[in-house]
Amino acid sequence: METVAIPTKAKISLIAITKQYITPRTGQTTLAVSDVSLNIQQGEFLCIVGPSGCGKSTILSMIAGLTKPSSGTISMDGNAIHGPGRERGVVFQDYALFPWKTVRENIEFGPRFRDRAPLSTAARRELVDHYIELVSLNGSEDKYPHELSGGMRQRCAFARALANEPDVLLMDEPFAALDAQTRLILQEELLRIWGEELPRDKRKTVVFITHGIDEAVFLADRVAVMSNHPGQIKMEKPIGLPRPRNEGVRLTTDFQKLVDEIWQLIRHDAYEATIGKAGIKQA
Amino acid sequence: MALSRRFLPFVLPLALLILWQAGVSTLQPGPRTPTPGSVVSTAWSLISTGQLPLAMILSLGRVLTGFVSAAVCAILIGFLMAVSPSIGRNLDPLMESFRPIAPIALLPLAILWFGTGTSAAAFIVGYAAFFPILINTIQGVRSIDPSLPRAARTLGVGLPAIIRNVILPGALPNIFVGARLGLGLAWSSIIAAELAVGAKTGDAGSGGIGQMMFVFYAYSVDLSGIIVCMIAVGVVALVIDRGLRAVEKRLLPWKQ
Ligand SMILES: Nc1ncnc2c1ncn2[C@@H]1O[C@H](COP(=O)(O)OP(=O)(O)OP(=O)(O)O)[C@@H](O)[C@H]1O
Ligand SMILES: [Mg+2]
Repeated sequence: METVAIPTKAKISLIAITKQYITPRTGQTTLAVSDVSLNIQQGEFLCIVGPSGCGKSTILSMIAGLTKPSSGTISMDGNAIHGPGRERGVVFQDYALFPWKTVRENIEFGPRFRDRAPLSTAARRELVDHYIELVSLNGSEDKYPHELSGGMRQRCAFARALANEPDVLLMDEPFAALDAQTRLILQEELLRIWGEELPRDKRKTVVFITHGIDEAVFLADRVAVMSNHPGQIKMEKPIGLPRPRNEGVRLTTDFQKLVDEIWQLIRHDAYEATIGKAGIKQA
Repeated sequence: MALSRRFLPFVLPLALLILWQAGVSTLQPGPRTPTPGSVVSTAWSLISTGQLPLAMILSLGRVLTGFVSAAVCAILIGFLMAVSPSIGRNLDPLMESFRPIAPIALLPLAILWFGTGTSAAAFIVGYAAFFPILINTIQGVRSIDPSLPRAARTLGVGLPAIIRNVILPGALPNIFVGARLGLGLAWSSIIAAELAVGAKTGDAGSGGIGQMMFVFYAYSVDLSGIIVCMIAVGVVALVIDRGLRAVEKRLLPWKQ
């Protein structure tokens, strides 16, 4: 395993990534991601949208280091990624909270048990208190995950990732399981916690996967639009909407235009992914 | 209402007692027709002379020795079998072919190897407890949501800490199921083992509750004594199970 230093200014850089899955039972191969190259800058909020099954989760999992690409290199700060690491925190779609740990214990899991530089009890306490406050889970510290609402679980998973103080935050459809109102509230909250007001070099770098185009446009500095068969990046769309953003942004024509433009780009793929090719021909 | 509900569990045992007394009173009194009265008086004398508690403590000690060693082995091997597919595949046929062999069928071996004392009994008991714990441990580890160890890895947590803080607590509910089953089996096989050992040595020299029953059966032909032993065994089994459940409640607070 050679560590190649890749000369680039990007925080995270994907070069010609291909991922092929082989199903052991049938020997069938699936080309999930084909020749994807992508640079993500320090402090950037990147959203990835695309039809179901186009390889979004696969890309995120490869950046996290949980899945190895079949070919190509992924690097962070110029160093190739070989496995998961504390500097890349992940918020999973199903939250993956530890059911036998309370909210507090879940949040302190990383700082307490990580291999490098775990924190002392006192330092941990202060840190965890801070993040509990930040995601407004005060009063629920001693509850177990099954005693929380969906939105609270989401916030707990988010705080768990943040409390480990990663440079990069990877989020796979974190709001997908929530109702529409909660989602809108958490979107704004996410931008606040991410640090919209901070200068770029102080912000975390975020890769955020979503099905919601309006969610992507509301949150992102840039939206990467993916297409299916094979999974590729079709277009990268910079979102120039001013920050800090709030509910009002959604009503502007700029916002609507961006949403519409991205929707036109993926609607064909989206139809195909849901109702099949035959359905499109008939329509 | 609350009072009647409290007495509800005692209705059936009381009815059985009355039925027993009524049935016995139609027969000739003697050592083969124990009455509730004779059982109570036998129980009192066995307890007050210290015979019954002593035998019980001896048997319990054997069960605990066998059970604890079995639990340690079963949890360890179960972990290895569940975590490593190659170990699992290699050990599985061996385990599955031993499993149907009843613990008591190992008694000849146990007596020849370990004699008629505590170690033979503990061996049988351990064997009985081993398989339910093993199988439930494997099941417990395999049933852990794979996204949990994955989440721990993304937090920069290494394998030893993941095993201790994710795999072990995740498998714990199943391990408890296995432990409760195993302890029940251990307790029932100690009686069988001691009975058989008693039959071999022909005396109650080596103690336990099973041997005591054998002596009542073969020498004094005292059915009341045997019934006292049976009741004592049942009561102890109940107490053990409740104790284990209490421990479970302490260790698995998120399950409530
Ligand atoms: N472990 C796996 N083994 C085999 N094929 C897989 C595996 N994981 C994903 N795939 C395949 O790879 C493709 C991309 O999957 P992926 O989960 O990345 O899609 P996605 O864009 O996240 O979809 P969704 O929006 O529905 O979550 C799919 O065709 C899927 O069937
Ligand atoms: Mg996905």
